[in-house]
Amino acid sequence: MRRTRVGMIGTVAGLFVSALLGCDIRDKPGGAASSQADNVAAGTGKRVILLTNGADPFWNAMRAGMQAAEKDFDLNAAGLRTVMDVNDGTPKGQVDHLRQYANQTDIAAVAVSVTDSANGAIAKAMRDCQRSGIKVITIDSDVDRKTNRDARFAYLGTDNVLGGQELGKAAAGIRPQGGKYATFVGLKGAANAIERISGFAQGAGPKFVQAENLGDDMDLSVALKNVKDALDRNPDLDMLVGIWAYNAHAIVDVVKQRGVRDKTNIVVFDASPKAIGHMTEGNIDAMVVQNPYDMGYWGTRLMKALVQNDQATIHDMLPAYDPRMHAFTDREGDLLVTGLRVVYPDAGSPLKKEVFAPTTEFLSLSDFKKWLSSHNLTGS
Amino acid sequence: MKSSPGGDSTGLISRLARQHSNELGLLAAIVVVVAITTTFSDAYREKPLQNVQEILRQTALLGVFSLGAAIVIISGGIDLSSGSVIAFSGSVCAAIMLALAPVDDAGNPMTRNLGSGVFAIAIAGTLLTGFLIGTLHAWLITVVGLPPFVATLASLVGLRSLARVFVQEVNSSLTVTGKTTQIYVNDETFNRLGATWWIPLGIFLVLSLLSWVLMSRTVVGRHLYAMGGNEAAARLSGIRTDQLKWLAYCLGAMTASIAGILYTAEVGTANPQVQGRGYELNAIAAAVVGGCSLQGGVGLVSGTMLGVLFLRVVIDSVAKMVKVGADDYEGIIVGFLVVLAVAFNELRQARRGGGKQFFPGRLGATVIGILSLLTGALATIIVGKNAGFALFLISLVGLGLIGFAERRAAARRTAGPDSQLP
Repeated sequence: MRRTRVGMIGTVAGLFVSALLGCDIRDKPGGAASSQADNVAAGTGKRVILLTNGADPFWNAMRAGMQAAEKDFDLNAAGLRTVMDVNDGTPKGQVDHLRQYANQTDIAAVAVSVTDSANGAIAKAMRDCQRSGIKVITIDSDVDRKTNRDARFAYLGTDNVLGGQELGKAAAGIRPQGGKYATFVGLKGAANAIERISGFAQGAGPKFVQAENLGDDMDLSVALKNVKDALDRNPDLDMLVGIWAYNAHAIVDVVKQRGVRDKTNIVVFDASPKAIGHMTEGNIDAMVVQNPYDMGYWGTRLMKALVQNDQATIHDMLPAYDPRMHAFTDREGDLLVTGLRVVYPDAGSPLKKEVFAPTTEFLSLSDFKKWLSSHNLTGS
Repeated sequence: MKSSPGGDSTGLISRLARQHSNELGLLAAIVVVVAITTTFSDAYREKPLQNVQEILRQTALLGVFSLGAAIVIISGGIDLSSGSVIAFSGSVCAAIMLALAPVDDAGNPMTRNLGSGVFAIAIAGTLLTGFLIGTLHAWLITVVGLPPFVATLASLVGLRSLARVFVQEVNSSLTVTGKTTQIYVNDETFNRLGATWWIPLGIFLVLSLLSWVLMSRTVVGRHLYAMGGNEAAARLSGIRTDQLKWLAYCLGAMTASIAGILYTAEVGTANPQVQGRGYELNAIAAAVVGGCSLQGGVGLVSGTMLGVLFLRVVIDSVAKMVKVGADDYEGIIVGFLVVLAVAFNELRQARRGGGKQFFPGRLGATVIGILSLLTGALATIIVGKNAGFALFLISLVGLGLIGFAERRAAARRTAGPDSQLP
């Protein structure tokens, strides 16, 4: 009997060890990599990692961009492969990931979407990665540029202040008479959140008054509660502003439940598949869409160039970078801004292209969907 | 017959081995996991020092409040509140520092250079908070009569919420940023408390030593074991169980408060919405893996230390060997190991108690199917379809044979005494 039980534990322990060994097989050259399940990145070589701030469909487009760049710039031939690591939305999670990277040997570069720009521990962990020989850039959300600029080589992403301004202009175009608005966001401390919200106020102009700014710490149920609470506390609220991608769903869901769509306008950042559906149904008035695909694509190219010390490519992507001096000649030259799009419903939108910045694309929903299809994407 | 000195030492070794079989098993398991990781990942070979330091730092952070959780479990209770106590204590610590920090021209506290006096007051205030929380738990359990599960569950939910409100009010009162949800402490000396590997480790070792002395070398410790083993008997024999519970829950909450200080120092931020979320289960898991019985009265400080180290080594091993989405696998592996550890404990107890069937009747047969499917599914995800199917079959046949053997043994046991009846 004793032998039987020992056998049982042994069997299970053996299976565990087999599973662990199995984890490793896929990283061995010529191992079982080719037969991997498709959710696991196969292949060999050093990793070029994108560390997200949390989990959201927004990152799918960035992953697609990374994978396209992996092929186009032939990262495999350079002994590199792209990987996306999804953080749990907390600064500690990001610090733990970065500390883990610094202690590994097969990581060549990391692009971080910084969870909390003011958090010194994240910046310190990024510096530790740099000291371990890992190239570090920020993507989508930067560190605090006043104090922690040296923690990364460059920032690649949206000009979030401009994005906020464009969303504010869209709000002003939809409600020329002004109104009372509430902003909804995941982490109020994230740099992109702070910049977008301040940009929105600038773009919307003095006719708009902010009633609430609510953070949900990336908890979807809290995001829903925030919208309900804002409407309960402010019955005259007429402009709901989604700052992060999933906030759009929370806003639309609550507005539909409450039946207040006729007296409420909704403008949001990003175009998740659900948000596109909401706009198709007439429940979103405008979307300012970043280009995570381009962020992933160009971010991968920049990381490859940094790993290979390809000064010409770095200079090509960041013209203010002087390859001879190995430094930026312009203080803001370490920012590589990816484009913005304003997407409006196919019918009945009062928005006009002229009010937006010349660099911002102005697209109807149909045209935007065509662009998504051309890149095999369902959202951006 | 007089035994030889050699015989004495052999007897002592075998007695120690029997007494510490759980710890020895954990040590062996740690060695195996480290050996496997070293074989298949370059990281341990090329950066041994950094990895050892990081594992020890993470072990210490988890270990500090696992010690408190273990003492509560040994005393026959359970503390579900440690994660929220970490969040609340971290908030209190950061709030005290914010309140004592000098203010800039705009009216914002400057937390970059706080000084040792501020640290001392903040740490003392945080430990006092832990003591008060533990006292409240003891009162709810011993006077109000709430089960420990309910009393600490209330704290699990309530303290985090209280911390969120508290942080917003503190920010509203002390800064010009308004009701923001986190407090930043940018003092580098404070940050080093959690980020420099040997500081949390030193604190953990000192607390472990104190806990060991308490549990193994004092009357109070023996009474805690006695109360955990049989509370009614302990009370009838004159042990003041209410006082002991007060001590146990205060130690649980105060160690969580120390962890709260360290975690806040590590990230330089008190963010009660997410800080320490779910950590109470990690602490309980570490204690259980370390040999503590949830029924009370069983467990060692050394076992808990090794349990924490084992969990952290395994988590680090997963991070080193699973190159993509290691976090996704972490929960599966940790959950699996907790079950495995408890199964080992059951095995040891069953050995003493004369045997136990793990797969009895139709329930057992169904569970064999479930375990085989689970193994096959995991192997399919990790390795591939063919390996998944093979492991499914191996599990089904292997566990089926074990179940069959168990039934035969059980039938023999049942028939044995009957046949000897007059």
